[in-house]
Amino acid sequence: MQPITILSRRRSTRLAALFAACALCAVPVPILHAETGDSAGLKTVDQDVQALKKQLIDLNRDLFKLEEELLYPASTQVAVFLSVDVGTFFALDSVTLKVDDKEVANYLYTEREVQALHRGGVQKLYLGNLKAGEHEITAFFTGKGPHERDYRRGTTLKVEKAVGAKYVELRISDREASLQPEFVVRQWE
Amino acid sequence: MAAALAVLASLPAFAAPPALDSAAPDFALKGIDGRNLRLSEFRGEPVILHFWASWCGPCRESATSLDRFGAATVTPVVGVNLDGTVGRAAAVAQSLQLQSPTLVDSQQVVARAYDVARLPLTLLIDADGTIRAAWSGIAPNLAELDPHLQRLRQD
Repeated sequence: MQPITILSRRRSTRLAALFAACALCAVPVPILHAETGDSAGLKTVDQDVQALKKQLIDLNRDLFKLEEELLYPASTQVAVFLSVDVGTFFALDSVTLKVDDKEVANYLYTEREVQALHRGGVQKLYLGNLKAGEHEITAFFTGKGPHERDYRRGTTLKVEKAVGAKYVELRISDREASLQPEFVVRQWE
Repeated sequence: MAAALAVLASLPAFAAPPALDSAAPDFALKGIDGRNLRLSEFRGEPVILHFWASWCGPCRESATSLDRFGAATVTPVVGVNLDGTVGRAAAVAQSLQLQSPTLVDSQQVVARAYDVARLPLTLLIDADGTIRAAWSGIAPNLAELDPHLQRLRQD
């Protein structure tokens, strides 16, 4: 799940830094401008640095995408996302995710993260590989329910993994009629 | 005592704390006040990370002195308590009158990530999340810590 993503980003960053270092070595023009000391030259240096930074960011993004495609090919890829809709009746504390009864993600939410989810953010909770066939995805949510009571709820979804990426969304919403939170699991194709 | 032995048993025997200039592993833990806190949310300013337990004498001293140092220098100090239970950690933090957040690493997950072999372990982490100074097995000398912090603030 997430540790793999973090490692991937680090590796990408290292690679990107290496490319950037090579690129810097290959661009002697800004140094010449700096030596002349005139303001036009400095402006050019600044523009060159900004352009280089943009290239670095683009390169980093491309490497990250490439790495993700290699580690999680579309044929086996499964991604689980989490979103919160309103959330008046439930204050999220943590989510534990199991795939085929094996824990693959356990995430503790800080206040800032909960606020980000309330503002419409969608979190990629898990990214992994599954072979074709039937699988069971279970999510356990903990937090504070109505009347500030500790609340723990589990929800399960059976998914049929075919050839092609599978996306699953865990959505926490409010059930106004019963004044209770609702936990919905749905698949995207 | 049992808790102390359990913590010691769970720690790697010959581990060393994370190397200087390496990235501080990110983590999220529950605090004694019930709030969750993630280390990476302190990015943008230097932070002092302090691993401690109530059964370790120097830890209690350093927890108190770092708490005061943090308040005086407006530096976030994050304590990670390894006692194992929120109740125990909260009672000790209260008795020491700690104002800085105290997180509870009940499963020693974070302690393992940081290879905590000796207590107390104090790490000075810069604004980018890189470990810049470490004190393992001894309470940090505040006179030594202060210039480190000033340098980080100037960078």
